[in-house]
Amino acid sequence: MPEFRQDPVIGRWVIISVERARRPGNFIDPINRRRRDDDQACDLCVKPENPVYTLGDICVVRSRQPSATSGQQTSIPDGQNGLYEVIKDVGIHETVIETPDHVSNMADLPVGRIREIVQTYVARFNEIEQNTRLTHALIYKNYGLSQFAHHACSHVMAMPVASLEISEKLSGAQKYFRDHRRCVYCDLIEREIKDKKRIVVETDDFLAVIPFAARFLFETWVIPKKHHADFAQGIRGHEEGLARIFKIVLQKIKNGLDDTAYNWVIQTAPFRRQDVARGKWRTIDVDYHWHVELIPRLTRMAGFEKGSGFYICAIPPEEMAEYLRDKEI
Amino acid sequence: MAELRHNPLSGQWVIVHVEDSWGPEKYEREDHSILAKATCQFCPGREFFTPPEIEAVRRSPPGSRPNSPGWQVRIIPNKFPALRIEGDLDLRHDGMYTLSNGIGAHEVFIETPAHERNLADLNDDEMFHVIDKYQSRLNDLTKDRRFKYILIFKNYGESAGTTVEHPHSQIIALPMVPQYVAQELEGTQAYYDRYQRCVCCDMIAQEYRAGTRVITDNAQFLAFCPFASGYPFECCIIPREHTCRFDTMNDGEKYALGNILRETLAKIKGCLWDPSYNLYIHVAPVNDGPQEHFHWHIEIVPKLMRTVGLERGTGFFSVPTDPDHAARYLREAAVIARR
Repeated sequence: MPEFRQDPVIGRWVIISVERARRPGNFIDPINRRRRDDDQACDLCVKPENPVYTLGDICVVRSRQPSATSGQQTSIPDGQNGLYEVIKDVGIHETVIETPDHVSNMADLPVGRIREIVQTYVARFNEIEQNTRLTHALIYKNYGLSQFAHHACSHVMAMPVASLEISEKLSGAQKYFRDHRRCVYCDLIEREIKDKKRIVVETDDFLAVIPFAARFLFETWVIPKKHHADFAQGIRGHEEGLARIFKIVLQKIKNGLDDTAYNWVIQTAPFRRQDVARGKWRTIDVDYHWHVELIPRLTRMAGFEKGSGFYICAIPPEEMAEYLRDKEI
Repeated sequence: MAELRHNPLSGQWVIVHVEDSWGPEKYEREDHSILAKATCQFCPGREFFTPPEIEAVRRSPPGSRPNSPGWQVRIIPNKFPALRIEGDLDLRHDGMYTLSNGIGAHEVFIETPAHERNLADLNDDEMFHVIDKYQSRLNDLTKDRRFKYILIFKNYGESAGTTVEHPHSQIIALPMVPQYVAQELEGTQAYYDRYQRCVCCDMIAQEYRAGTRVITDNAQFLAFCPFASGYPFECCIIPREHTCRFDTMNDGEKYALGNILRETLAKIKGCLWDPSYNLYIHVAPVNDGPQEHFHWHIEIVPKLMRTVGLERGTGFFSVPTDPDHAARYLREAAVIARR
């Protein structure tokens, strides 16, 4: 019997449907096939001329991907468009070139290197926070998904607004705190450690689990055991720990899922400047808990998911966790 | 340069590239060669391969027997249903988690007996029967009080997620309201609380005033590219008069809807080299009291970029084509009328 499961943070329902797993063609995304055929000259192998930040040979550059512009002159909604709100010049988009070597998957980088990459993220966060126009920063990686993805890189994006997806997560955590006076992620960690069956790997300071209401095949959340709303502050003293669990999880996914394409996002609280602290996110330091969401790209999003936001996951999370848990690295 | 645009209906923020906006030629093209006709289980004469039909429009000859050839539109249960129709929902808590049995209905509309045709190629009469059956199944499934939402959708082409070539669409009945629809209901409610007006009605008025994002219209419906589209060449078809009711449309309205839907799809096909697409109808929730403030509509999303991932996780959609630009291409795309 298929099951509906509800995400405890944002209340989104998913369908866990065992039967559909048998459908042919459901798991292999042609993106994965095409990726390996591509063998162009790599732009990221060339040392960049004007990095905005460097740490050892890790370089951060303003992105050529046109998702956002420089961000220095972000304006507020101008009211010129009737009922439509517009913000010109959207924010900051940077690329972190993780290594000068042409290695494509972060899973293949040594732990020490990943630790330095994490330190680079923190440095970028702290600088971007100084720009008071920007309210929210995100770090994400698309591996195997675009033409830039053959050389290990990740992206820092900072915006003057939070996306709907992030707002819902923040609101969900806030609501849970209002109802229970506890952090939903702290409760989740406690529950998952007790249940064991959805754990992929547990270390001293982090937990990697397949969420109870996973949307995607092998969706994995990496959650720090120590409560902190903010990535850049919460990570202090745990950079090595994050690097270590990242390495393990990414290797398990690489080896267990045929080097699949994936993306991950570091989900963190908005910048908590004075004005934010007084307003909507008053309890955010206690109600929100930063974490990483990793999503392998094993299935296509079809009309049902895209049109409804209702996801169908074809393997029970407990089975996915067992599979990754037992995977050699 | 790019700008952030806010979708007043869903609340989504979208990054739209208003400078260097991409024309149709910049996107990947997909081949839709017919490969599986010989083994197609949806073709006439192979009715016994599918589960028995629930409903059908039978025209040639009229009154032909169920599960035999002679149908124009045929509705069958999905052979690989995501949900089960029998049983109780049994909503339960397990500590902090909430779950229930996967109760729901999942049916398939075979839109035409002709394997190699496509919704955009049907004539107005054939389109009418498809829309009429959408309505008929929606009304029938609404009678099941367990269901709170009914989603009609279509995946066309491999990269839009279809695994069957033969023209078809699907209907899923759910015991809860999906997230995106809930967001739209919330957006509509918030706008109403603030202005005592329907956000979609205001949007329609503004789109007519601006004119730049209109694709086509008729007496009852408007097709346009939304100002804060989440995807390039996204199209929206919406009734011009405020209504939350898909279930009570009369024959004239269904004919007009079929007409504008076919025209829009034909324009998409002509202008973007027959791309894959997803289509979904956002109606108001069912069995949940009046939802008069909601304004139903159809969203059509051509699948033009196969290698994106920004929105997944970050929630920010990045759109390389300015919707004004997209609408101009679609508006100017010539379509042969089929009557």
